[in-house]
Amino acid sequence: MAVPISQMWTVVSYVLSQRMAGNKRYPLVLMLEPLFRCNLACAGCGKIQYPAHVLKMNLSPGQCFKAVEECGAPMVSIPGGEPLMHPQIAEIVEGLIARKKYIYLCTNALLLREKIDLFKPSKYLSFSVHLDGEKEHHDFSVCKEGGYELAVEGVKEAVRRGFRVTTNTTLFDGTDPKSVRAFFDEMMSLGVEGMMLSPGYSYDKAPDQQHFLGRARTRRLFNAILANRKPAWKFNMSPLFLEFLMGKRHYACTPWGMPTYNLFGWQKPCYLLQDGYADTFAELMADTAWENYGTESGNPKCANCMVHSGYEASAVHDQFASWRGFADTVKATLFSKYPDADALRMLDEPIKPVHAPAGLVQLTLATEAPEEVEA
Amino acid sequence: MSAALKADELEVVPGFEHEILQGRVWQPGTEQELREGLEKAFDYRGDVTITRHDGSSVEGYIFDRRAGATLADSAVRLFPKGQPDKISIPYADIASLSFTGRDTAAGKSWEAWLKKYWEKKAAGEKNIELVPEKLD
Repeated sequence: MAVPISQMWTVVSYVLSQRMAGNKRYPLVLMLEPLFRCNLACAGCGKIQYPAHVLKMNLSPGQCFKAVEECGAPMVSIPGGEPLMHPQIAEIVEGLIARKKYIYLCTNALLLREKIDLFKPSKYLSFSVHLDGEKEHHDFSVCKEGGYELAVEGVKEAVRRGFRVTTNTTLFDGTDPKSVRAFFDEMMSLGVEGMMLSPGYSYDKAPDQQHFLGRARTRRLFNAILANRKPAWKFNMSPLFLEFLMGKRHYACTPWGMPTYNLFGWQKPCYLLQDGYADTFAELMADTAWENYGTESGNPKCANCMVHSGYEASAVHDQFASWRGFADTVKATLFSKYPDADALRMLDEPIKPVHAPAGLVQLTLATEAPEEVEA
Repeated sequence: MSAALKADELEVVPGFEHEILQGRVWQPGTEQELREGLEKAFDYRGDVTITRHDGSSVEGYIFDRRAGATLADSAVRLFPKGQPDKISIPYADIASLSFTGRDTAAGKSWEAWLKKYWEKKAAGEKNIELVPEKLD
């Protein structure tokens, strides 16, 4: 199943209406964090390090609906923490569906099979399952053996029941591009609608402070992964954002494109940085010193960021900003193979896995055949 | 070379050094020191006890600070421990800060997890995992 035409139409008409109204800054996706607690303790995550009394708190459904209405974005992503741990998550989802919002419920899927009866399949609801790669990579990334199997069981069950299911994958330094490509094959074979991926953000509170990708390495890694693309792979992302990750485009950050609302209020300036909170969406848009953020600003906290929450909205804006942007989108959609011999060679370069025991370096075997790529 | 160009050439981002604040008491002698302490408290991922000039105190999680031109029009906002509602305290009322809560972002590292993992693996353990801390 592909992204429903109704969703595409909703997004296109929303963006065009914003442009026709002359709005230079508008939200595309609301990042709604209804809680911070999680049932995983992932190495690269800086989202859950709070005192217990904060972790026990939840946004009420009423607070969530108010935020959604204030913001007005056509899509709502529900990350966290783990949203399935929220005692009223079904009520929140139901209320958002009633408001005709396209929802991406971001989950590690550990509880998905247990909670799936709380939800009904809808074109407005997608489970966006956190899977960071093949089994070994994912389990290390989420610091849990068996995490991959549980997530995959959740994916299969949700697909079986007719839910829209996507995957979301965060990549760090040391990622093996060949393994990521094999992971894409696995995911598509499970019947997911599409995949999302992003480089990890260098959270200063994350346990792992050694494996955040810089921009130069990010572009090489994503080019190795996404060039020579297999036709079977579907991505639930802007094709121009994927080109940005591959180093084929330059975008400035649009942090207001995916604003974040959580227990503390409207987060300044974006989903990743916490530089204070506004009480209303209008206050966030009016009072944030946007010029202080983004790679171009020189802000060291933004230096390596190429994350979707800052740049995918930039890509979507570009798609509709001009006929050139529209033509580029059509081209990127129709001709998505990106043949690249150098990228193919990179797949066989030695990689030191981030989870190797100290001193152990993975060596590439000379006898290993290059990956076969579909025509 | 512009900051943006330099950033574009980054291979790996150096990690952040974690300042050890837990247990520290901040007794500001000047306005600048008070502002500096409140910035640290804002960045701290544990509870902080604020003692006011009138001797009263409140412990909670500081999630926001709004620094104005004067101490009177600057304020920190926090969730007091055990209370569901946010409160705001003007900088001008604050005499001292204590980093009384545990720093939830300290003491864990990727290296420690890897070391523990390989030790457990060598000992034949299965279903090895890092679990989130208990909330009670």
